[in-house]
Amino acid sequence: MTDTMGVSVTRTGQQGAFGGELLTVNFGPQHPSTHGVLRLIVDLDGEQIKRIKPVIGYLHTGIEKQMEALRWQQGVVVTDRHDYLSPPINNLAYALAVERLMGVEVPPRAQVLRVIMSELTRLSSHLVWLGTSGIELGAMSMLMYCFRERDTILNMNEEISGYRMHTSYIRPGGVLADATPRFFDLLNDFIEKMPGHIDEYEDLLTMNPIFRSRTIGIGILTAADAKVLGATGPMLRGSGVNWDLRKNMPYSGYENYDFEVAVSNDRDCYGRYLCRIKEMREAVKILRQAVDRLPDGPVNVDDRKMLPPPREELETSMEAVIHHFKLFTEGYSVPAGDVYVAVESGRGENGCYIVSDGTHKPRRVKFRAASFVNLQALERMAMDHMVADMIAIIGTADTVLGDVDR
Amino acid sequence: MIADDLVIEKGTSAGDDWLTVPADRVREALSSLRAEGYTILTFLTCVDHLADASRAWPERYELVYQLRDIEAPRDLRVRAFVGGETPHIDSVHDLFPPANWDERETYDMFGIVFEGHPDLSRILMPDDWVGHPLRRDYPVGGEHVEFSEEHETWQTAPDRA
Repeated sequence: MTDTMGVSVTRTGQQGAFGGELLTVNFGPQHPSTHGVLRLIVDLDGEQIKRIKPVIGYLHTGIEKQMEALRWQQGVVVTDRHDYLSPPINNLAYALAVERLMGVEVPPRAQVLRVIMSELTRLSSHLVWLGTSGIELGAMSMLMYCFRERDTILNMNEEISGYRMHTSYIRPGGVLADATPRFFDLLNDFIEKMPGHIDEYEDLLTMNPIFRSRTIGIGILTAADAKVLGATGPMLRGSGVNWDLRKNMPYSGYENYDFEVAVSNDRDCYGRYLCRIKEMREAVKILRQAVDRLPDGPVNVDDRKMLPPPREELETSMEAVIHHFKLFTEGYSVPAGDVYVAVESGRGENGCYIVSDGTHKPRRVKFRAASFVNLQALERMAMDHMVADMIAIIGTADTVLGDVDR
Repeated sequence: MIADDLVIEKGTSAGDDWLTVPADRVREALSSLRAEGYTILTFLTCVDHLADASRAWPERYELVYQLRDIEAPRDLRVRAFVGGETPHIDSVHDLFPPANWDERETYDMFGIVFEGHPDLSRILMPDDWVGHPLRRDYPVGGEHVEFSEEHETWQTAPDRA
Protein backbone atom coordinates (compact mmCIF):
# COMPACT_ATOMS: atom_id res chain seq x y z
CA MET A 1 0.00 0.00 0.00
CA THR A 2 1.11 3.56 -0.56
CA ASP A 3 0.32 6.53 1.62
CA THR A 4 0.12 10.13 0.44
CA MET A 5 3.86 10.75 0.85
CA GLY A 6 4.68 8.06 -1.67
CA VAL A 7 6.13 5.81 1.05
CA SER A 8 5.23 2.20 0.41
CA VAL A 9 4.74 -0.19 3.28
CA THR A 10 4.92 -3.99 3.21
CA ARG A 11 3.90 -6.36 5.98
CA THR A 12 6.62 -8.87 6.80
CA GLY A 13 4.60 -11.25 8.95
CA GLN A 14 7.41 -11.26 11.56
CA GLN A 15 6.47 -10.54 15.16
CA GLY A 16 8.03 -7.47 16.83
CA ALA A 17 8.94 -6.96 20.50
CA PHE A 18 5.89 -4.79 21.18
CA GLY A 19 3.42 -7.41 20.03
CA GLY A 20 2.98 -5.83 16.62
CA GLU A 21 4.20 -6.94 13.25
CA LEU A 22 7.46 -5.80 11.63
CA LEU A 23 6.82 -3.53 8.65
CA THR A 24 9.12 -2.94 5.72
CA VAL A 25 9.09 0.70 4.68
CA ASN A 26 10.71 2.11 1.59
CA PHE A 27 12.40 5.50 1.90
CA GLY A 28 13.33 7.27 -1.25
CA PRO A 29 14.92 7.50 -3.75
CA GLN A 30 13.00 10.78 -3.89
CA HIS A 31 11.72 11.04 -0.34
CA PRO A 32 11.91 14.70 0.67
CA SER A 33 13.81 14.10 3.90
CA THR A 34 16.55 11.92 2.43
CA HIS A 35 19.75 13.18 0.90
CA GLY A 36 19.73 13.16 -2.87
CA VAL A 37 18.64 9.89 -4.40
CA LEU A 38 19.50 7.61 -1.49
CA ARG A 39 16.98 4.80 -1.15
CA LEU A 40 16.65 2.87 2.09
CA ILE A 41 14.60 -0.24 2.76
CA VAL A 42 13.87 -0.16 6.47
CA ASP A 43 12.32 -2.85 8.68
CA LEU A 44 10.40 -1.23 11.51
CA ASP A 45 9.06 -2.55 14.78
CA GLY A 46 6.59 0.18 15.67
CA GLU A 47 8.84 3.17 15.10
CA GLN A 48 12.06 1.35 15.94
CA ILE A 49 14.51 0.51 13.18
CA LYS A 50 15.42 -3.18 13.04
CA ARG A 51 17.25 -3.35 9.71
CA ILE A 52 18.38 -0.90 7.04
CA LYS A 53 19.35 -1.84 3.53
CA PRO A 54 20.66 1.07 1.47
CA VAL A 55 19.99 0.75 -2.26
CA ILE A 56 22.35 2.89 -4.29
CA GLY A 57 23.23 3.42 -7.93
CA TYR A 58 20.52 5.90 -8.92
CA LEU A 59 23.17 8.50 -9.68
CA HIS A 60 25.69 6.20 -11.32
CA THR A 61 27.18 8.04 -14.29
CA GLY A 62 30.04 5.74 -15.25
CA ILE A 63 32.73 8.28 -14.39
CA GLU A 64 35.44 5.61 -14.09
CA LYS A 65 34.56 4.25 -17.52
CA GLN A 66 34.56 7.71 -19.08
CA MET A 67 38.01 8.44 -17.66
CA GLU A 68 39.43 5.52 -19.66
CA ALA A 69 38.26 7.14 -22.89
CA LEU A 70 39.72 10.57 -22.12
CA ARG A 71 43.29 11.79 -22.37
CA TRP A 72 45.15 12.51 -19.14
CA GLN A 73 44.54 16.26 -19.21
CA GLN A 74 40.88 15.87 -20.20
CA GLY A 75 40.08 13.62 -17.25
CA VAL A 76 40.26 16.53 -14.79
CA VAL A 77 36.90 17.81 -16.01
CA VAL A 78 35.23 14.53 -15.12
CA THR A 79 36.80 14.34 -11.65
CA ASP A 80 34.95 17.54 -10.74
CA ARG A 81 31.69 15.75 -10.98
CA HIS A 82 31.83 12.72 -8.68
CA ASP A 83 31.81 14.46 -5.32
CA TYR A 84 30.03 17.54 -6.60
CA LEU A 85 30.37 19.47 -3.34
CA SER A 86 34.17 19.44 -3.40
CA PRO A 87 35.44 19.62 -7.01
CA PRO A 88 38.90 21.12 -6.33
CA ILE A 89 39.69 18.39 -3.79
CA ASN A 90 38.77 15.73 -6.38
CA ASN A 91 40.98 17.51 -8.90
CA LEU A 92 43.79 17.54 -6.37
CA ALA A 93 43.68 13.78 -5.78
CA TYR A 94 43.79 13.12 -9.52
CA ALA A 95 46.47 15.73 -10.21
CA LEU A 96 48.72 14.44 -7.42
CA ALA A 97 48.35 10.87 -8.70
CA VAL A 98 49.30 11.81 -12.27
CA GLU A 99 52.21 13.90 -11.00
CA ARG A 100 53.49 11.05 -8.82
CA LEU A 101 53.50 8.70 -11.83
CA MET A 102 55.30 11.28 -13.97
CA GLY A 103 57.72 12.23 -11.20
CA VAL A 104 56.80 15.91 -11.39
CA GLU A 105 56.83 18.39 -8.51
CA VAL A 106 54.72 21.54 -8.84
CA PRO A 107 56.18 24.97 -7.93
CA PRO A 108 55.66 26.36 -4.39
CA ARG A 109 53.13 29.01 -5.46
CA ALA A 110 50.94 26.34 -7.03
CA GLN A 111 51.16 24.24 -3.86
CA VAL A 112 49.86 27.11 -1.75
CA LEU A 113 47.11 27.98 -4.25
CA ARG A 114 46.06 24.33 -4.11
CA VAL A 115 45.85 24.48 -0.32
CA ILE A 116 43.79 27.68 -0.53
CA MET A 117 41.34 26.09 -2.96
CA SER A 118 41.14 22.89 -0.90
CA GLU A 119 40.30 24.74 2.29
CA LEU A 120 37.74 26.99 0.58
CA THR A 121 36.13 23.85 -0.78
CA ARG A 122 36.11 22.20 2.61
CA LEU A 123 34.32 25.28 3.97
CA SER A 124 31.76 25.37 1.19
CA SER A 125 31.11 21.64 1.52
CA HIS A 126 30.61 21.93 5.29
CA LEU A 127 28.34 24.93 4.75
CA VAL A 128 26.06 22.93 2.46
CA TRP A 129 26.06 20.12 5.00
CA LEU A 130 25.27 22.48 7.89
CA GLY A 131 22.47 24.22 6.03
CA THR A 132 20.76 21.08 4.78
CA SER A 133 21.18 19.21 8.08
CA GLY A 134 19.71 22.22 9.85
CA ILE A 135 16.64 22.07 7.62
CA GLU A 136 16.27 18.35 8.19
CA LEU A 137 16.30 18.86 11.94
CA GLY A 138 13.89 21.78 11.88
CA ALA A 139 16.31 24.73 11.97
CA MET A 140 14.94 26.34 8.83
CA SER A 141 17.00 29.52 8.88
CA MET A 142 20.37 27.70 8.87
CA LEU A 143 20.29 27.30 5.10
CA MET A 144 19.98 31.06 4.53
CA TYR A 145 22.98 31.83 6.74
CA CYS A 146 25.12 29.06 5.28
CA PHE A 147 24.32 29.75 1.66
CA ARG A 148 25.13 33.45 2.17
CA GLU A 149 28.76 32.53 2.94
CA ARG A 150 28.83 29.72 0.41
CA ASP A 151 27.93 32.23 -2.24
CA THR A 152 31.00 34.32 -1.45
CA ILE A 153 33.09 31.16 -1.88
CA LEU A 154 31.42 30.49 -5.23
CA ASN A 155 32.19 34.08 -6.23
CA MET A 156 35.84 33.36 -5.48
CA ASN A 157 35.66 30.17 -7.56
CA GLU A 158 34.27 32.23 -10.41
CA GLU A 159 36.98 34.82 -10.06
CA ILE A 160 39.83 32.32 -10.06
CA SER A 161 38.59 29.82 -12.64
CA GLY A 162 35.56 31.21 -14.44
CA TYR A 163 33.25 28.56 -13.01
CA ARG A 164 31.23 28.67 -9.84
CA MET A 165 31.06 24.96 -9.07
CA HIS A 166 32.97 22.66 -11.38
CA THR A 167 36.16 24.66 -11.41
CA SER A 168 38.72 22.17 -12.86
CA TYR A 169 41.19 24.62 -11.35
CA ILE A 170 43.78 22.15 -10.05
CA ARG A 171 45.34 20.22 -12.91
CA PRO A 172 48.25 17.84 -13.38
CA GLY A 173 51.32 20.07 -13.54
CA GLY A 174 49.96 22.93 -11.48
CA VAL A 175 46.82 25.04 -11.63
CA LEU A 176 44.76 26.60 -14.40
CA ALA A 177 46.16 30.12 -13.99
CA ASP A 178 47.47 32.45 -11.33
CA ALA A 179 44.92 34.07 -9.03
CA THR A 180 43.84 37.63 -9.81
CA PRO A 181 44.29 40.55 -7.36
CA ARG A 182 40.50 40.69 -6.98
CA PHE A 183 40.54 37.07 -5.81
CA PHE A 184 42.83 38.03 -2.94
CA ASP A 185 40.62 41.01 -2.07
CA LEU A 186 37.64 38.69 -1.82
CA LEU A 187 39.66 36.11 0.10
CA ASN A 188 41.03 38.57 2.65
CA ASP A 189 37.58 39.97 3.24
CA PHE A 190 36.23 36.43 3.67
CA ILE A 191 38.98 35.39 6.11
CA GLU A 192 38.24 38.46 8.21
CA LYS A 193 34.48 37.90 8.40
CA MET A 194 34.19 34.10 8.47
CA PRO A 195 35.04 33.50 12.18
CA GLY A 196 32.19 35.83 13.12
CA HIS A 197 29.84 33.96 10.83
CA ILE A 198 30.83 30.61 12.38
CA ASP A 199 29.95 32.15 15.77
CA GLU A 200 26.53 32.97 14.32
CA TYR A 201 25.96 29.34 13.29
CA GLU A 202 27.00 28.19 16.73
CA ASP A 203 24.62 30.69 18.35
CA LEU A 204 21.82 29.14 16.37
CA LEU A 205 22.62 25.47 16.96
CA THR A 206 25.24 24.55 19.57
CA MET A 207 23.11 25.28 22.63
CA ASN A 208 19.76 25.02 20.86
CA PRO A 209 17.66 22.62 23.01
CA ILE A 210 15.78 21.14 20.05
CA PHE A 211 18.94 20.54 18.05
CA ARG A 212 20.70 19.07 21.09
CA SER A 213 17.88 16.72 21.96
CA ARG A 214 17.73 15.46 18.39
CA THR A 215 21.47 14.82 18.08
CA ILE A 216 22.98 14.03 21.50
CA GLY A 217 23.17 10.28 22.07
CA ILE A 218 21.79 9.60 18.61
CA GLY A 219 23.68 7.49 16.09
CA ILE A 220 26.53 6.35 18.31
CA LEU A 221 29.50 4.91 16.46
CA THR A 222 32.31 3.66 18.69
CA ALA A 223 35.92 4.24 17.74
CA ALA A 224 36.49 0.51 17.24
CA ASP A 225 33.43 0.22 14.96
CA ALA A 226 34.38 3.31 12.99
CA LYS A 227 37.86 1.90 12.31
CA VAL A 228 36.63 -1.56 11.40
CA LEU A 229 33.98 -0.18 9.06
CA GLY A 230 36.60 1.96 7.33
CA ALA A 231 34.89 5.26 8.15
CA THR A 232 36.99 8.37 7.51
CA GLY A 233 36.74 12.11 7.95
CA PRO A 234 34.40 13.63 10.55
CA MET A 235 32.70 10.22 10.89
CA LEU A 236 35.94 8.82 12.30
CA ARG A 237 37.07 11.92 14.17
CA GLY A 238 33.61 12.37 15.67
CA SER A 239 34.19 8.93 17.24
CA GLY A 240 37.34 10.09 18.96
CA VAL A 241 39.99 8.81 16.55
CA ASN A 242 42.68 11.35 15.79
CA TRP A 243 43.25 10.65 12.10
CA ASP A 244 43.51 13.30 9.44
CA LEU A 245 45.41 12.69 6.21
CA ARG A 246 46.58 16.30 6.24
CA LYS A 247 48.48 15.56 9.47
CA ASN A 248 49.18 11.84 9.26
CA MET A 249 50.12 11.50 5.58
CA PRO A 250 50.68 15.12 4.47
CA TYR A 251 50.50 16.23 0.86
CA SER A 252 50.81 19.62 -0.90
CA GLY A 253 52.85 21.01 2.01
CA TYR A 254 50.17 20.61 4.70
CA GLU A 255 52.92 19.69 7.15
CA ASN A 256 54.00 23.35 7.12
CA TYR A 257 50.72 24.72 8.43
CA ASP A 258 49.81 25.13 12.04
CA PHE A 259 46.34 23.70 12.64
CA GLU A 260 44.61 21.31 14.98
CA VAL A 261 42.75 18.16 14.01
CA ALA A 262 39.12 18.41 15.06
CA VAL A 263 38.34 15.40 17.25
CA SER A 264 35.29 14.83 19.41
CA ASN A 265 34.79 12.04 21.94
CA ASP A 266 30.99 12.33 21.86
CA ARG A 267 30.74 9.63 19.13
CA ASP A 268 27.19 10.73 18.25
CA CYS A 269 25.56 13.08 15.74
CA TYR A 270 26.32 16.04 17.97
CA GLY A 271 30.01 15.06 18.09
CA ARG A 272 30.17 14.97 14.32
CA TYR A 273 28.55 18.40 14.24
CA LEU A 274 31.14 19.79 16.67
CA CYS A 275 33.93 18.26 14.59
CA ARG A 276 32.80 19.96 11.42
CA ILE A 277 32.37 23.33 13.14
CA LYS A 278 35.90 23.04 14.53
CA GLU A 279 37.16 22.00 11.11
CA MET A 280 35.65 25.15 9.61
CA ARG A 281 37.50 27.31 12.14
CA GLU A 282 40.75 25.47 11.42
CA ALA A 283 40.20 25.89 7.67
CA VAL A 284 40.03 29.66 8.13
CA LYS A 285 43.25 29.46 10.16
CA ILE A 286 44.98 27.57 7.31
CA LEU A 287 43.68 30.07 4.76
CA ARG A 288 45.13 32.96 6.74
CA GLN A 289 48.55 31.28 6.94
CA ALA A 290 48.45 30.40 3.25
CA VAL A 291 47.73 33.98 2.19
CA ASP A 292 50.53 35.27 4.42
CA ARG A 293 53.14 32.92 3.02
CA LEU A 294 52.09 32.82 -0.64
CA PRO A 295 55.41 32.88 -2.53
CA ASP A 296 55.93 34.54 -5.91
CA GLY A 297 56.80 32.54 -8.96
CA PRO A 298 55.25 30.35 -11.62
CA VAL A 299 52.09 28.32 -10.98
CA ASN A 300 52.83 25.52 -13.44
CA VAL A 301 55.70 23.14 -14.04
CA ASP A 302 58.04 24.29 -16.77
CA ASP A 303 57.61 21.20 -18.91
CA ARG A 304 56.58 21.64 -22.53
CA LYS A 305 55.83 17.92 -22.83
CA MET A 306 53.07 18.20 -20.23
CA LEU A 307 51.60 21.69 -20.42
CA PRO A 308 51.06 23.93 -23.45
CA PRO A 309 53.53 26.78 -24.10
CA PRO A 310 52.49 30.35 -23.28
CA ARG A 311 50.49 32.12 -26.00
CA GLU A 312 53.22 34.62 -26.88
CA GLU A 313 55.76 31.87 -27.59
CA LEU A 314 53.52 30.42 -30.30
CA GLU A 315 54.15 33.47 -32.49
CA THR A 316 57.91 33.18 -32.44
CA SER A 317 58.87 29.56 -31.89
CA MET A 318 58.22 26.67 -34.26
CA GLU A 319 59.00 24.23 -31.48
CA ALA A 320 56.27 25.77 -29.33
CA VAL A 321 53.78 25.27 -32.16
CA ILE A 322 54.76 21.61 -32.45
CA HIS A 323 54.43 21.07 -28.70
CA HIS A 324 51.06 22.80 -28.74
CA PHE A 325 49.86 20.66 -31.63
CA LYS A 326 51.06 17.41 -30.05
CA LEU A 327 49.47 18.20 -26.68
CA PHE A 328 46.08 19.06 -28.12
CA THR A 329 45.90 16.18 -30.57
CA GLU A 330 47.61 13.24 -28.89
CA GLY A 331 48.14 14.49 -25.35
CA TYR A 332 51.01 13.36 -23.17
CA SER A 333 51.86 9.84 -22.09
CA VAL A 334 52.33 8.79 -18.49
CA PRO A 335 54.93 6.10 -17.63
CA ALA A 336 53.45 2.64 -17.00
CA GLY A 337 52.72 1.85 -13.36
CA ASP A 338 50.10 2.41 -10.74
CA VAL A 339 49.72 4.81 -7.85
CA TYR A 340 47.26 5.56 -5.08
CA VAL A 341 46.95 9.07 -3.68
CA ALA A 342 44.56 10.00 -0.89
CA VAL A 343 43.57 13.49 0.18
CA GLU A 344 41.30 14.65 2.98
CA SER A 345 38.02 16.03 1.68
CA GLY A 346 35.13 17.36 3.74
CA ARG A 347 33.75 13.85 3.87
CA GLY A 348 36.88 11.85 4.54
CA GLU A 349 39.47 10.05 2.50
CA ASN A 350 39.05 10.95 -1.13
CA GLY A 351 41.46 8.73 -3.02
CA CYS A 352 42.43 8.24 -6.61
CA TYR A 353 43.99 5.00 -7.83
CA ILE A 354 45.43 5.25 -11.32
CA VAL A 355 46.88 2.54 -13.52
CA SER A 356 48.80 3.64 -16.58
CA ASP A 357 49.87 1.34 -19.39
CA GLY A 358 52.23 3.97 -20.79
CA THR A 359 49.82 5.40 -23.34
CA HIS A 360 48.10 8.78 -23.57
CA LYS A 361 44.95 7.52 -21.84
CA PRO A 362 44.62 5.88 -18.42
CA ARG A 363 44.15 2.10 -18.24
CA ARG A 364 42.06 2.39 -15.08
CA VAL A 365 41.05 5.19 -12.75
CA LYS A 366 39.36 4.24 -9.49
CA PHE A 367 37.98 6.79 -7.08
CA ARG A 368 37.97 5.74 -3.47
CA ALA A 369 34.87 7.62 -2.40
CA ALA A 370 34.56 8.50 1.28
CA SER A 371 30.74 8.56 1.12
CA PHE A 372 30.57 5.05 -0.36
CA VAL A 373 32.44 3.60 2.61
CA ASN A 374 30.86 5.84 5.26
CA LEU A 375 27.38 4.88 4.13
CA GLN A 376 28.07 1.27 5.11
CA ALA A 377 28.19 2.38 8.75
CA LEU A 378 24.59 3.63 8.56
CA GLU A 379 22.99 0.41 9.75
CA ARG A 380 25.34 0.18 12.74
CA MET A 381 24.50 3.76 13.75
CA ALA A 382 20.74 3.68 13.21
CA MET A 383 19.92 0.28 14.74
CA ASP A 384 17.14 0.46 17.38
CA HIS A 385 16.66 4.20 16.88
CA MET A 386 13.38 5.84 15.87
CA VAL A 387 12.64 6.62 12.23
CA ALA A 388 12.94 10.36 12.90
CA ASP A 389 16.44 9.85 14.30
CA MET A 390 17.48 8.17 11.10
CA ILE A 391 17.13 11.54 9.38
CA ALA A 392 19.59 13.09 11.84
CA ILE A 393 21.98 10.17 11.32
CA ILE A 394 21.87 10.35 7.52
CA GLY A 395 22.30 14.11 7.80
CA THR A 396 25.42 14.00 9.96
CA ALA A 397 26.94 11.16 7.93
CA ASP A 398 27.12 13.77 5.13
CA THR A 399 27.02 11.42 2.18
CA VAL A 400 27.03 12.92 -1.29
CA LEU A 401 25.24 10.56 -3.61
CA GLY A 402 27.33 11.58 -6.60
CA ASP A 403 30.33 10.38 -4.62
CA VAL A 404 28.63 7.13 -3.59
CA ASP A 405 27.53 6.16 -7.11
CA ARG A 406 30.22 7.82 -9.24
CA MET B 1 55.12 -11.67 9.11
CA ILE B 2 53.68 -12.86 5.84
CA ALA B 3 55.11 -16.25 4.84
CA ASP B 4 57.66 -16.17 2.01
CA ASP B 5 55.80 -18.72 -0.09
CA LEU B 6 52.79 -16.37 -0.18
CA VAL B 7 54.75 -13.62 -1.91
CA ILE B 8 55.17 -14.16 -5.64
CA GLU B 9 56.67 -10.78 -6.36
CA LYS B 10 57.16 -7.48 -4.56
CA GLY B 11 58.19 -4.00 -5.52
CA THR B 12 57.52 -0.30 -5.45
CA SER B 13 55.50 1.70 -7.96
CA ALA B 14 55.80 5.52 -7.85
CA GLY B 15 56.62 5.27 -4.14
CA ASP B 16 53.85 2.79 -3.23
CA ASP B 17 54.85 -0.63 -1.87
CA TRP B 18 53.10 -3.61 -3.36
CA LEU B 19 53.27 -7.38 -3.38
CA THR B 20 51.64 -10.10 -5.44
CA VAL B 21 50.07 -13.12 -3.77
CA PRO B 22 48.58 -16.33 -5.24
CA ALA B 23 44.87 -15.81 -5.98
CA ASP B 24 43.83 -19.09 -4.36
CA ARG B 25 45.53 -18.13 -1.07
CA VAL B 26 44.43 -14.49 -0.89
CA ARG B 27 42.53 -14.93 2.39
CA GLU B 28 45.55 -16.51 4.05
CA ALA B 29 47.79 -13.67 2.83
CA LEU B 30 45.41 -10.89 3.85
CA SER B 31 44.75 -12.32 7.30
CA SER B 32 48.46 -12.58 8.04
CA LEU B 33 48.93 -8.99 6.83
CA ARG B 34 46.04 -7.93 9.04
CA ALA B 35 47.77 -9.56 12.00
CA GLU B 36 50.87 -7.59 11.04
CA GLY B 37 49.02 -4.29 11.60
CA TYR B 38 47.38 -3.60 8.27
CA THR B 39 43.92 -3.50 9.82
CA ILE B 40 42.14 -1.23 7.34
CA LEU B 41 41.15 -2.02 3.78
CA THR B 42 41.10 1.34 2.05
CA PHE B 43 39.57 -0.05 -1.10
CA LEU B 44 39.37 -3.15 -3.25
CA THR B 45 39.09 -3.02 -6.99
CA CYS B 46 40.03 -4.73 -10.22
CA VAL B 47 42.07 -3.79 -13.27
CA ASP B 48 41.40 -5.37 -16.65
CA HIS B 49 44.68 -5.97 -18.51
CA LEU B 50 43.10 -7.00 -21.79
CA ALA B 51 45.57 -6.19 -24.61
CA ASP B 52 47.90 -4.34 -22.21
CA ALA B 53 51.37 -4.42 -23.76
CA SER B 54 53.16 -2.52 -20.98
CA ARG B 55 54.42 -5.82 -19.51
CA ALA B 56 53.63 -9.55 -19.50
CA TRP B 57 50.62 -10.05 -17.23
CA PRO B 58 50.00 -13.49 -15.70
CA GLU B 59 46.22 -13.25 -16.14
CA ARG B 60 43.72 -10.79 -17.53
CA TYR B 61 42.20 -9.52 -14.26
CA GLU B 62 44.25 -8.02 -11.47
CA LEU B 63 42.55 -7.65 -8.09
CA VAL B 64 43.96 -4.82 -6.01
CA TYR B 65 43.63 -4.64 -2.21
CA GLN B 66 44.89 -1.40 -0.72
CA LEU B 67 45.71 -1.92 2.95
CA ARG B 68 46.60 0.60 5.62
CA ASP B 69 48.25 0.44 9.01
CA ILE B 70 47.10 3.62 10.78
CA GLU B 71 49.50 3.16 13.68
CA ALA B 72 52.68 3.42 11.60
CA PRO B 73 51.21 4.92 9.25
CA ARG B 74 52.00 2.90 6.13
CA ASP B 75 50.19 1.60 3.06
CA LEU B 76 50.56 -1.65 1.19
CA ARG B 77 49.00 -2.79 -2.05
CA VAL B 78 48.28 -6.48 -2.52
CA ARG B 79 47.66 -7.86 -5.99
CA ALA B 80 46.23 -11.17 -7.13
CA PHE B 81 45.66 -12.28 -10.69
CA VAL B 82 42.66 -14.23 -11.93
CA GLY B 83 41.51 -15.21 -15.40
CA GLY B 84 38.81 -17.11 -17.24
CA GLU B 85 35.35 -16.16 -18.48
CA THR B 86 33.88 -15.98 -14.95
CA PRO B 87 36.88 -15.36 -12.69
CA HIS B 88 36.62 -16.60 -9.10
CA ILE B 89 38.32 -15.50 -5.91
CA ASP B 90 37.58 -15.87 -2.19
CA SER B 91 35.65 -13.10 -0.48
CA VAL B 92 37.35 -11.18 2.36
CA HIS B 93 34.24 -9.41 3.66
CA ASP B 94 34.60 -11.03 7.08
CA LEU B 95 38.25 -9.98 7.45
CA PHE B 96 37.56 -6.41 6.31
CA PRO B 97 33.88 -5.28 6.52
CA PRO B 98 34.23 -2.44 3.95
CA ALA B 99 35.04 -5.13 1.37
CA ASN B 100 31.36 -6.08 1.34
CA TRP B 101 30.25 -3.26 -0.95
CA ASP B 102 33.58 -3.08 -2.77
CA GLU B 103 33.24 -6.74 -3.76
CA ARG B 104 29.70 -6.16 -4.94
CA GLU B 105 30.92 -3.24 -7.03
CA THR B 106 33.77 -5.29 -8.48
CA TYR B 107 31.34 -8.08 -9.33
CA ASP B 108 28.98 -5.57 -10.91
CA MET B 109 31.64 -3.83 -12.97
CA PHE B 110 34.02 -6.69 -13.85
CA GLY B 111 32.07 -9.90 -13.27
CA ILE B 112 34.52 -11.25 -10.69
CA VAL B 113 32.75 -13.84 -8.52
CA PHE B 114 33.65 -13.61 -4.82
CA GLU B 115 33.17 -17.00 -3.22
CA GLY B 116 31.53 -16.81 0.20
CA HIS B 117 30.10 -13.30 -0.16
CA PRO B 118 26.73 -13.11 1.67
CA ASP B 119 24.88 -11.09 -0.98
CA LEU B 120 26.78 -10.90 -4.24
CA SER B 121 24.40 -8.80 -6.30
CA ARG B 122 24.72 -5.75 -8.51
CA ILE B 123 25.15 -2.53 -6.55
CA LEU B 124 25.45 0.37 -9.00
CA MET B 125 23.91 -0.97 -12.21
CA PRO B 126 20.26 -2.10 -12.36
CA ASP B 127 19.63 -5.69 -11.25
CA ASP B 128 18.66 -6.85 -14.75
CA TRP B 129 21.72 -5.36 -16.48
CA VAL B 130 23.58 -7.56 -18.95
CA GLY B 131 27.38 -7.38 -19.07
CA HIS B 132 30.04 -5.84 -16.86
CA PRO B 133 30.67 -2.23 -17.89
CA LEU B 134 34.24 -1.68 -16.70
CA ARG B 135 35.65 -4.59 -18.69
CA ARG B 136 37.83 -3.24 -21.45
CA ASP B 137 35.83 -5.01 -24.18
CA TYR B 138 32.64 -3.25 -23.10
CA PRO B 139 32.32 -0.13 -25.25
CA VAL B 140 31.76 3.40 -23.98
CA GLY B 141 28.29 4.46 -25.06
CA GLY B 142 27.22 0.82 -24.87
CA GLU B 143 24.13 1.66 -22.90
CA HIS B 144 20.68 1.87 -24.34
CA VAL B 145 19.36 5.45 -24.37
CA GLU B 146 15.69 5.28 -23.55
CA PHE B 147 13.15 7.42 -25.42
CA SER B 148 15.80 8.38 -27.98
CA GLU B 149 14.97 8.55 -31.65
CA GLU B 150 18.51 7.48 -32.46
CA HIS B 151 18.11 4.48 -30.23
CA GLU B 152 19.23 2.02 -32.91
CA THR B 153 22.48 3.83 -33.64
CA TRP B 154 23.25 4.24 -29.94
CA GLN B 155 22.66 0.64 -29.13
CA THR B 156 26.05 -1.02 -29.35
CA ALA B 157 25.64 -3.92 -26.98
CA PRO B 158 28.83 -5.91 -26.30
CA ASP B 159 27.99 -8.75 -28.70
CA ARG B 160 27.70 -6.31 -31.59
CA ALA B 161 30.76 -4.22 -30.70
